[in-house]
Amino acid sequence: MATHGEITESLQAFHKSYQENERLKVMNKDWNRTVLVIANDVESTHTLVLKEGELSFQEGRQGDPDLTVISDSGILSDMFFGDITPTEPYLNGTLKIIGSEDDIMRLDFITLLIWGE
Amino acid sequence: MKKVVSVSLGSSKRDHKVITNMAGQEFEISRLGTDGDYGRALSMIEELDGNVDAIGLGGIDVYLYAGDTRYAINDGLKLMDAAKKTPVVDGSGLKNTLERETVYYLRKNTGLLPSGCKVLMVSAVDRFGMADALTELGCDVTFGDLIFTTGIPYPIKSVAELADIARRILPEMVKMPFHMLYPTGAKQDSQDEGKVQKFGHYYHESQVIAGDYHLVKRYMPGGLNGQLVITNTTTREDLLFLKDRGAGVLVTTTPELEGRSFGTNVMEAVMLVLLGKAWNDIKPEDYLSLIDRLNMKPRVLEL
Repeated sequence: MATHGEITESLQAFHKSYQENERLKVMNKDWNRTVLVIANDVESTHTLVLKEGELSFQEGRQGDPDLTVISDSGILSDMFFGDITPTEPYLNGTLKIIGSEDDIMRLDFITLLIWGE
Repeated sequence: MKKVVSVSLGSSKRDHKVITNMAGQEFEISRLGTDGDYGRALSMIEELDGNVDAIGLGGIDVYLYAGDTRYAINDGLKLMDAAKKTPVVDGSGLKNTLERETVYYLRKNTGLLPSGCKVLMVSAVDRFGMADALTELGCDVTFGDLIFTTGIPYPIKSVAELADIARRILPEMVKMPFHMLYPTGAKQDSQDEGKVQKFGHYYHESQVIAGDYHLVKRYMPGGLNGQLVITNTTTREDLLFLKDRGAGVLVTTTPELEGRSFGTNVMEAVMLVLLGKAWNDIKPEDYLSLIDRLNMKPRVLEL
């Protein structure tokens, strides 16, 4: 189990890596989305906002989400720290993503392009 | 008579059966579509196992290539494993050789692929041989793997970048259900209107459109101005579709059998029978010499 603070730290790491990846910013120029990240075992909600290729995030819920990512705190922090990929938990049901199939696929791609080896 | 069956996740509307002679051997070749029903494909392969000489897998790739690395799609591997006696192939071995040769043939024997011509490959990781050959011959290639599969408007412009992105993405993507990666079943009979609108300009800006026919068709806009299309599996209806969209010339990499070109999976299954070798033991030279023996040349058709 991770704390809200650890999830925030993992999102900071994710954000930093995103910001350093110019190719990813170009790829996401047309993809304006609000992504809500909710832990289902601790009180923890964050909002990621992608706008014209730039990524920002805030603690708590902001605006209406296009995608909602729900999992336990451990998986969320591991995923945003890049220790695990979203594919396995998504396929085994421990990570739920609510949104269109195209958006889910694209979010998966972003994570893989940041952390993929 | 040898029997080869292609079990496809594609539409059953394209089902077909021919009897033909290749290199002195009679073949009954049939194609059975399962309309995207993965379970049905699995049980069909189990039933055919031991009763036919080779099985081709259509509408699904098992192996994808980028650079020197091969990636295996989990759903495809499961289908392959469903047969214990009869060899099952997905066409990827032959594709790598035959489609490379098609590109060389067009350069050598036609004026259809001049150096510097603009080529759109809707997807390249499923036909890396073609991608590599087009680049080698100096074509200005746009690889649309991210654009059309994921909706990311990012044209990949080199084989090196394609391999780099593939290395990051494919090890995980191959675990996804295949229908999330490729149009199966009814999706093969329709177009993705959103992507046609958004990304159709890539077709208009190119002189050559290359790649898997279902992908080529799914995103093809109208109003083309005589583009060359290089692909594999087409039916008579497909020719009408391409003509209606404004394509000018069609090149298919596999030979025509009674009005349609079969997929590379079918041809690879046929070749496997003719070569009498295990799939893993077949080398590109084996395919090349058989392509020569069969006098297989790409079909070039004015639309």
